[in-house]
Amino acid sequence: MSPQPQAAVGAPLSRVDGRLKVTGQAQYAAEFDVEGAVHAVVVDSSIGRGRITGIDTGAAEAQPGVLTVIHHRNAPKLPYRDNSGSNNPPGRRLRVFQDDRVLFHGQPVAVVVATTLEAAQHGASLVKVRYDAEQPSTDLHEAKPDKPTNYARGDAEAGLRSAAVRLDLTYQLARNHHNPMEPHATIARWDGNKLTVWDKTQWVMGTHDELAAVFDLPAGSVRVINPFVGGGFGSGLRCWPHTVVAALAARVTGRPVKLVLSRRQMYLGTGFRPSYEYRVRLGSDRRGRLSAAIHDIDAETSSYETFTEAVMGAGQMTYSMPNVSQAYRTVPLDVNTPIWMRGPGFASASFAIESAMDELADRLGIDPIELRRRNEPSEDESNNLPFSTRRLRECYTVGAREFGWQRRSSRPRSRREGDLLIGMGMATGVYDCGRFPAEARARLDADGTAVVEAATSDMGPGTYTSQTQVAADALGLTMRTVTFRLGDSLYPPTSPHGGSATMASVGSAVVDACNQVRQQAIKLAVEDRESPLHGVDAADVVVRGGRLHVQGNPARGESYRSLLARNDRTHLEARGQYAGAPSPARRSYFAYNATFAEIAVDATLGLVRVRRMLGVYDAGRIISPKLAESQAFGGIVGGIGTALLEHTVTDHRDGRIVNANLADYLVAVNADVPEVRAIYLDGEDNDGNLLGVKGLGEVVQVGVAAAIGNAVFNATGRRVRELPITAEALV
Amino acid sequence: MSTELPESAVPPPTGADESSSAPSRRTFIATSTAVGGVVVAGGVFAGTVLADPEEASAAEKPPSSRVSLTVNGTRRTVTVDNRTSLLDLLREHFELTGSKKGCNAGACGACTVLIDGQRHNACLTLAVRLEDAEVTTVEGLADGDQLHPLQQAFIDQDAFQCGYCTPGQIVSGVGCIKEGHTNSPEEIREWMSGNICRCGCYVKIVRAVEQTAGRK
Repeated sequence: MSPQPQAAVGAPLSRVDGRLKVTGQAQYAAEFDVEGAVHAVVVDSSIGRGRITGIDTGAAEAQPGVLTVIHHRNAPKLPYRDNSGSNNPPGRRLRVFQDDRVLFHGQPVAVVVATTLEAAQHGASLVKVRYDAEQPSTDLHEAKPDKPTNYARGDAEAGLRSAAVRLDLTYQLARNHHNPMEPHATIARWDGNKLTVWDKTQWVMGTHDELAAVFDLPAGSVRVINPFVGGGFGSGLRCWPHTVVAALAARVTGRPVKLVLSRRQMYLGTGFRPSYEYRVRLGSDRRGRLSAAIHDIDAETSSYETFTEAVMGAGQMTYSMPNVSQAYRTVPLDVNTPIWMRGPGFASASFAIESAMDELADRLGIDPIELRRRNEPSEDESNNLPFSTRRLRECYTVGAREFGWQRRSSRPRSRREGDLLIGMGMATGVYDCGRFPAEARARLDADGTAVVEAATSDMGPGTYTSQTQVAADALGLTMRTVTFRLGDSLYPPTSPHGGSATMASVGSAVVDACNQVRQQAIKLAVEDRESPLHGVDAADVVVRGGRLHVQGNPARGESYRSLLARNDRTHLEARGQYAGAPSPARRSYFAYNATFAEIAVDATLGLVRVRRMLGVYDAGRIISPKLAESQAFGGIVGGIGTALLEHTVTDHRDGRIVNANLADYLVAVNADVPEVRAIYLDGEDNDGNLLGVKGLGEVVQVGVAAAIGNAVFNATGRRVRELPITAEALV
Repeated sequence: MSTELPESAVPPPTGADESSSAPSRRTFIATSTAVGGVVVAGGVFAGTVLADPEEASAAEKPPSSRVSLTVNGTRRTVTVDNRTSLLDLLREHFELTGSKKGCNAGACGACTVLIDGQRHNACLTLAVRLEDAEVTTVEGLADGDQLHPLQQAFIDQDAFQCGYCTPGQIVSGVGCIKEGHTNSPEEIREWMSGNICRCGCYVKIVRAVEQTAGRK
């Protein structure tokens, strides 16, 4: 098979759905006009743990427009079949309105359904719930942890004891909430025993499977639709209780029901990046060669599910050392269950590890980049596999040059501009990119246009655009003649839209489907006596701009249209597949970055301002450069939030989140982000995917917080080991 | 960092019909709740914003008012539940879902619309106080198929990802340009900081506003 010419892939194209988004025509979950839909508003618990002893719904039901109030005393019993293979963590998932138990502050305890939103909202405020309250446990530092998950190589304790230089450092990371701009929302409609939901999700198949399990419905009787996702960052990776509430309310009332979480409820009804206490002990020689590291990691989870994430990976493979031990302990608390958030696990671990490396560099008087170079491994020491590609050294070199690293003073608190202390810092980021099974369908129509479909999502990275680019080149069509569809469980199934896996996984399935269609057409042509391509070796035919021709001889060929018309074919169609990561793994497949920050700290006020940031990425082949740059900027901005602003605050007296809104939970705004730059190294990584990609949506946020923290140290001489780094810590 | 914006970033309403006697959303809801039973009895509930007639007749009707306003050049007269925000009026009743609900508390800017040419958070604006007002939403910016220059600039600069904050950013950007707060990237950043973009497109949003302001 001749390699297809690459016209769309790699080109800095604008988004194919751009016009829909800038005109307000893109339809998000709550915006579908479902006839007869009524409104549901959730009532959430006002205690952090205990039992419901009574519910008075009289005042709510007396409100004009209120149809019903559903709670555990009148809700139908739901089957809640097991849903293995889902993103539900081990445990017993929250079962809405099935018993009187309250497991966390803000748990759904009732839902008010009304003909208008105003009536439902007011009705919800009138539901009186009485409780037998118990003292909740919500403090990571006070509660009893689960048994640890361990990793070890060598003898870390002995390695540490014999090290010339030892550091023992403990870092605290605040809980972060994803806070996508679009609140989670569901519209549910029953047609007999068939359920259709328009649901904000990063995985329509996941919502499909969970609803089928909860209501014990046969496959094929649930349809999940979600063409546009207004941000996710992980919050849409599992089906949350409110989606079940909407479906339940629709079943009870016999009406389509629209349920939109309030911003406050986003903190109660969806997950979060758990808070961590991460203690790391490092041992090295005086030249900075690491000999041992011991990681003690505590993270919050809920009392009813054990959420874990890949927080151990970075400590095992980022730097070369013979002795490593890790203990990762989840701490069950009376909170709702966490969920992966951008750069899951790695972003959290990187703050501890990359800050510790900076502390070691300072102790030894070695440049932080040089220290990292001295500990660059030649293979993945966690499994002795070769790296598929690992170009961190190049990231360091390019980053140092482009950022002007030589201007950094190695002596902290030595650069001053008036009241401002100026500092520079850097950090390394690694991310274990996912590759999951996926399918896609491609159909080439007689008019020479194509439709490609997969049940994936586009939460913002530009799946619509980048998959269209991939499909267009594989089919030999222009961008304008290819339509990519996603966000419908009727399309071929894919794995979740997350883990930086979408391009490698769905993209490979799309390429497979499109290659098959193209080859069907080529076969048709070379076997067709009336085709100019008759008798040509199929391997010598390429397609460009919808026209099949002999490689190197564009004059000899014909268009898809004429070929299909002459052969009486309405269309050609194929289903493509991608099996997932190679198993067993033959190579260690990670994306990498070096992230640089320059910040200014007001010496009197302690206020930290980012001045400029640079990320240099080894992320494999870049399909859509314009959109990839936007993703990198987004990861950096998210990292600025984690570093300096974001902190979900719980009042441990009653388990209530006290800043569950966008005025008190601070995220980066425009004025927080002056100059950002992203550089993707040219290259590709062909380990187990057809596109040479690695994935980039996660790695771009890994290391950002540490780079900023290290810059704060360089500016002030103060090492802040707690996120977010606030003015209070610096005055 | 929570940048402190000058209060005038989202200017207060002006004009005779928006006098200081106009009730704020908070006081209005408090008032109507307190006297609920009495007002409900006298409420009029008709027009395009209607509950299902069967259900509406089954219970007393909520307090409502008639209001005439112009939305994207079209004059509309409706009777609305007094509790309805402009944002909910647009989204739930006019099927103009371009204006987004991100926080419903004036903290994110996703619902930004122009009222009589000025930037406002539609979620904090009660519909009933908009008698004779001219409202422009993102759906009203393009001239047929011809995008507003700022809409085109957002596409050119890739100034959005998920797209959910985008209508608010664009409407806010139109206001920002009109206000003349575009003399430097720093000034644009300050005056666009009432609109959160969680995907982190700020640098490109500033470029798009700059590009458009420079054309004027």
